[in-house]
Amino acid sequence: MANADIKLKIPSAVFYIDPVRAFIGTLAKNLGFARKRVADIQLVIDEICSNAVHHGSIDATVGIKLQIRSDAHSLEILVSDTGSRDNKEKHWLTPERLSEIEANRSPSNEGGHGIFIAKSLSDTYEIQINAAGGTDVRVVFKLLKPTDIKP
Amino acid sequence: MDSTKLMKLREESGIKILEIKTDLSSYAASDLRKVLEGLLAEKAEKVVVNLSQVSHINSTAVGALVGVAKRLRQNGGDLKICELADNLTRTFNLIGASSVVEIYESENSALAAF
Repeated sequence: MANADIKLKIPSAVFYIDPVRAFIGTLAKNLGFARKRVADIQLVIDEICSNAVHHGSIDATVGIKLQIRSDAHSLEILVSDTGSRDNKEKHWLTPERLSEIEANRSPSNEGGHGIFIAKSLSDTYEIQINAAGGTDVRVVFKLLKPTDIKP
Repeated sequence: MDSTKLMKLREESGIKILEIKTDLSSYAASDLRKVLEGLLAEKAEKVVVNLSQVSHINSTAVGALVGVAKRLRQNGGDLKICELADNLTRTFNLIGASSVVEIYESENSALAAF
């Protein structure tokens, strides 16, 4: 299997998250991730893209970029939003905001679980401010774990 | 596409049963919230949500179910969930929502719990 570097750009609207989730699910399955892990990866992508739509690239025309890299050992996905025209929403996921979200998370809350899910289910989770004025979220899923080896 | 068409509502012994026939990603989650809000507006008290045909649920959809369950309880009712696939159960457990909303293996057991 050759290493892959795939780039996608979708409009910033939840309607387009499902096709991305389906594509990444198929890719993860074909890379050899176990079925449970494929479901985890799809959930993480749903959560990250949803946050990008709702908090990052609020203007649907600016879109969300995904960069997907895979090799024999891992699947790496970078989701980049551009921030909105409203300065208050630029860099929405700052370290301070992240700490606040994590501190306030409660099972009985209706929201605020997406980042927790992404951090819990990925092997690597990183956020950083990008040059476009938005937020980059990078997650990595490692393939060579005993639970990921197909029976 | 309007995913509310894939959310079928019926009633048994005064209990509203909402059967979801679509994955609950962000797109469908907003429609789920609309349907549940509609039940609240109709003054429904007892609601069972059957997720047997759902293979994916995200935190927005879980949050909608948790929120409506809490509001129904304030009025003496409740929302119970049934027939979750393993990965959905894991999502509820991960968030902690399984300690907030009652989950049942079958629709009959959820109905009987009222």
